[in-house]
Amino acid sequence: MTLARPVLPPLPPRGRRWGVLVGVAIVVGVIAYLAFSNVGNALVYYVTPTELAARGDSAVGQTVRLGGLVKAGSISGEAPALFFVLTDGTTEMRVHAVSAPTQSFRAGIGAVVEGTLGADGVFEASQVIVKHDENYVAPSEGALPTQAFDPGT
Amino acid sequence: MIPTLGHLAVVIGLAATVYAAGAFVLGGRSGDLAVLASARRAMYATLALVGFACLAMIVSLLAHDFSVLYVARNNATTTPPFYSVISLWAALEGSILFWTLLASGWASMVLHRYRARLPALMPWVGATLALGIAFFLAVMAWPGDPFVRLTPVDVQGNGPNALLQNHPFMGLHPPLLYLGYTGMAIPFAFGMAALITRRTDEEWLAVVRRWTLVPWIFLTMGIVAGAWWSYAVLGWGGYWAWDPVENAALLPWLTATAFIHSSMVAERRGTLRTWTHALVIATFVLTLVGTFLTRSGIVNSVHAFTTSGIGAWFASAIVVTLAVALGLLIWRLPDLRDRRPPGAVVSRESAFLFNNVLFLGITFAILFGTLYPVVVEATTGAKASVGAPWFNRVNAPIFVALLFLTGVGPALPWGGASWTTVRERFAIPILSAVGIVVAAWALGMRGAAPLGILGLATFVLVVMGDEVARGARSRTRSRGEAAPLAVLRLATRNRRRYGGYLAHVGICVMAVAIAVSATLGTDRTATLHEGEAVSIGAYTLRYDKLVTEPLASDPRVIETRAELTLAGPQSGSIATALRDYPNSQTAIATPVVRTAFGEDLYVTLLAYNATTGTATLRIFVNPLVMWIWTGGAIVALGALFAIWPDRRRTAIEAAVAAGA
Repeated sequence: MTLARPVLPPLPPRGRRWGVLVGVAIVVGVIAYLAFSNVGNALVYYVTPTELAARGDSAVGQTVRLGGLVKAGSISGEAPALFFVLTDGTTEMRVHAVSAPTQSFRAGIGAVVEGTLGADGVFEASQVIVKHDENYVAPSEGALPTQAFDPGT
Repeated sequence: MIPTLGHLAVVIGLAATVYAAGAFVLGGRSGDLAVLASARRAMYATLALVGFACLAMIVSLLAHDFSVLYVARNNATTTPPFYSVISLWAALEGSILFWTLLASGWASMVLHRYRARLPALMPWVGATLALGIAFFLAVMAWPGDPFVRLTPVDVQGNGPNALLQNHPFMGLHPPLLYLGYTGMAIPFAFGMAALITRRTDEEWLAVVRRWTLVPWIFLTMGIVAGAWWSYAVLGWGGYWAWDPVENAALLPWLTATAFIHSSMVAERRGTLRTWTHALVIATFVLTLVGTFLTRSGIVNSVHAFTTSGIGAWFASAIVVTLAVALGLLIWRLPDLRDRRPPGAVVSRESAFLFNNVLFLGITFAILFGTLYPVVVEATTGAKASVGAPWFNRVNAPIFVALLFLTGVGPALPWGGASWTTVRERFAIPILSAVGIVVAAWALGMRGAAPLGILGLATFVLVVMGDEVARGARSRTRSRGEAAPLAVLRLATRNRRRYGGYLAHVGICVMAVAIAVSATLGTDRTATLHEGEAVSIGAYTLRYDKLVTEPLASDPRVIETRAELTLAGPQSGSIATALRDYPNSQTAIATPVVRTAFGEDLYVTLLAYNATTGTATLRIFVNPLVMWIWTGGAIVALGALFAIWPDRRRTAIEAAVAAGA
């Protein structure tokens, strides 16, 4: 427990350095595997209704974030049976939301929904994120929501 | 008038730091003490000038001087004084000004403290610090001028960002974080000085260990306070979302933590020396990367400031710093050879080495996850984000491995451990861990993550407790001290070691709290009419009525609150609100959190219908959340204990410095 100077150990056996290096290599390998093995499905893409429609059937079932404006007069029902239409000016897409959006959700506002496009052409949204104050979040078209506002997953 | 003087102070400050950098270099080469003293005075003058500029900004904010663009954008006539003052760091230009103030403060403090010590290193430390501050002053002199005037003058002002004025924590979290960020320039400056002067022995390490821990404490508190802010303000029931800017704060913390560990090996064993230098460089560069991420607008984040031309300046600064620092490091590689062969696979130095590999692994994973969407967008044009699940999946196992090493490292001897030692040291801790896990399971705790982390934390705590007991017993035997006195003496005579243990205790507390709160919480969403009630866990919440009224402190803000009656383990009247700020499209949640030792009840108002009087509530029962903040405080206390000056060590340091 005292601060005695450590005595210099005898020269280590050959291979000691290799032992440590192999250990490090294994750790690095595991970390790299963890990081890269499933990064493909880690990405959630932001798309507009036009882009999603252009993908056709291949878009069905993929998790994306769909951004657009809530079409006036399109909101009906309440979560978990809330329906509305998101539009980007060219294409309209019907959305079914199971979770309640926040207070700011109303016709005409920008919104991003995360979920998957169903085979019936209705977008099944697991969450609805209302677009934030433009003054604050660095806004670029379509890329609006922030992780911090996700109400969990 | 006042804003003009503020701008002038920035420009003069820039001239003073450029002079100081030049004078430090000249003085360092010639050894002319008068030149060095004048360089130091120029740095003190910079601190005064930047302080004056900050004061000018605060006065302009308090006076609602909307002829200043920054004030017009971030202040309103109705903004309360407290939020006016903290608006200094609420947006881009002001935060750079505040940042520069803190950086100048650190620089002056270090230059003053070591004015008569480490004569070979200090001129180069001063030059490095002066150049860093000159960069920030140049940013403010050109692209990021906080004192830009507005014509015609705005009459009302936009007001601070609604999120930032909704909670007093904004007065605490950014300054702590910035103190941590800016302070990391100190170890970098010493590292550069050691490389330039080829004095890469243990001398600079002794100084830098301490001066890394000081900003590290602030960075730790800043990150924990940021998580707390996110929890208390954003209303989503969580505290960490792997948001790019949260990541940006975590990255330098990880490399600095790696440095704190590897420098012990470098100091005691003379190995990992290049690595330790590289960590100091990485930490500083990552603070720049963090600033770049926050301020350039290249990532979308809740914290990101508005897009600006400053990004290019920061990108250039990062590239130049990295090139110069790594160039210098490679040039001096021959000086940094290990003084001793590496330890065995099962030895304390290997535990430290693996600790460092893991810390760097997390750093790379987080950096990759943060920047990958940027790369994807740059190459394919598609906008994407990497979600929290990916970060959790990748980082959780690495954090678990680190926690394991926290227990293993301190109990292993330097050089190499025999099988007998391993068995002797770890038998009781492993048995205790198994016992606790079984007990927790019997008491009804389920889930691999919380049980596993609980067991691991028990293992770590028992190993450390055993270490302390061994030390105390040996004191009791050899000096006849009573047990409590022996423990106290043991700790205060070896502050670094036992301060480190205390920090590890805090990490264990946090780890258990995070694992439990992330997996064992419950939540539900309910839309209620007035008078209806909802149950969650052992709690019952009755929704009494909806009240809409202007906020007393700022009548431009309209608050709509759902008043609730809570019954169960905690009871009473609570209210959760949505606030409409005039400058925000989105209503800002104001969640109510009732904290107890075991769990938090967290209620946020998602939506309401003013005509029918219904309210949609999201209710969370979050177990052990307060122990995350408590654990963070213990970590900071441990580090503080480790660096607390004691008479004996001060004397040793003075002797070392005198001999240098």
